[in-house]
Amino acid sequence: MKRLILLFFLASGAFITPAVAQDCEGLVSVCEGYLNGTSAPGNFVSDGQVYTAFLDREKSEFKTTFYGGSTYRIVATAGKEDDFVIFTVRDMQGNIIFTNRDHKNSTYWDFKVNKTIPVTIETELDMDKKVTGCTVMLIGFKKF
Amino acid sequence: MKINFIRVSYLVAFLLIMPSCTEEKEEKKPEVEEEILDANSSLNTNFNGKVFSIPSPLQTALLIKNLKVPFNESLPNSTENVDKYTTEYEQALNLGIYGTDLGYVSLYEQNSASLKYLATVEKLTNKLGLEGAFDRDFMTRFENNATTEDSMLRIVSEAFRKADDFLKSSNRKPTSALILTGGWIESLYFACELNRTKQSDAIVERIGEQQQTLNSIIEILREFNNNGSNDELIADMEDLQFYFNDISVDYEFVEPKTDSDKKLTTLNHKISIHIDTNTLNQITLKINSIRDKITG
Repeated sequence: MKRLILLFFLASGAFITPAVAQDCEGLVSVCEGYLNGTSAPGNFVSDGQVYTAFLDREKSEFKTTFYGGSTYRIVATAGKEDDFVIFTVRDMQGNIIFTNRDHKNSTYWDFKVNKTIPVTIETELDMDKKVTGCTVMLIGFKKF
Repeated sequence: MKINFIRVSYLVAFLLIMPSCTEEKEEKKPEVEEEILDANSSLNTNFNGKVFSIPSPLQTALLIKNLKVPFNESLPNSTENVDKYTTEYEQALNLGIYGTDLGYVSLYEQNSASLKYLATVEKLTNKLGLEGAFDRDFMTRFENNATTEDSMLRIVSEAFRKADDFLKSSNRKPTSALILTGGWIESLYFACELNRTKQSDAIVERIGEQQQTLNSIIEILREFNNNGSNDELIADMEDLQFYFNDISVDYEFVEPKTDSDKKLTTLNHKISIHIDTNTLNQITLKINSIRDKITG
């Protein structure tokens, strides 16, 4: 029986990555619209990366640096026209700079950065709205 | 226990199969049993593993141009070197380097050089199987907009984002990590070299601001170190980190100001970066040596 269960997991595992990747791929284009001005005002240059995580009651976290003299836009989604993702930006001391939790889980937010700052960005699903799924985040910038 | 395990496996199968059957007709909050919601369960895994972020190297090229530093044609890697890169490791690192070079020459409106770097980038992306990101549409858009700074930045960044997305979703994250690393190395090399020829406080500051990114680069190279292929590069980066650790940062948190209507938060913190001349020289020497090894 144990072998059967193991086989089942191995077999299903072979399909996890492509299925989830396909699911995430659709979300990238949703995010794109918020960077290039289609879905929200403002036209931002992508930082050249796609931040993807399959979340299940856990947080995804990464560090980056916002350079002074730029306005940044963070866009996060876990579904079309959604407000499922909570993202929180902290400074190097752990102080909360911003969380979209206080703004109805807004899909995007802009940050005017006068002086460079290393930040940590946390992403999680709003458990009241979605328990598990793919989240995609894009970061864009423009000079001001 | 065995029964629970079987129940969990059926639930997992159900959750995996259902989305593809319904073709995402609508987003519904899935019903998930307690076993799956157990935070310690091995089923709770991140699809992409750790998430890393490297700021766009084009932002440093942009800073250099905004400071009105004259164009230096000896700075970018020669396009004639491209045929020397035969392994995926060399091609990925040098694609990152040439990507930053492409941004640099284009920002300075060096049109004939831009087209040469564009062709070089195309050559490497073809070798790496990234034609989808740097396709004919990209080439046409670039050629038509190469003199418009904003459009050019957007087009190049978009192509690199598509490549990153493609590599990450096709389990080629080690390649994606090397492209990002190459791009970052080239931007730091530019900053150090230009500062060596003409000292600039803004560029020194930008060099000092790379501490966290260097830590992320080392982490990303360790995470995707297939069969020790990144060992030498990691050792070099750790040497560089040794000098970066001598940079001190004074930071003071000041409450940011948020405008809900504009969906805009303005950051008001205070930060100053201190880097002495000796440290700066050591960083310049080390990044030159690392870059030389990569570009050959």
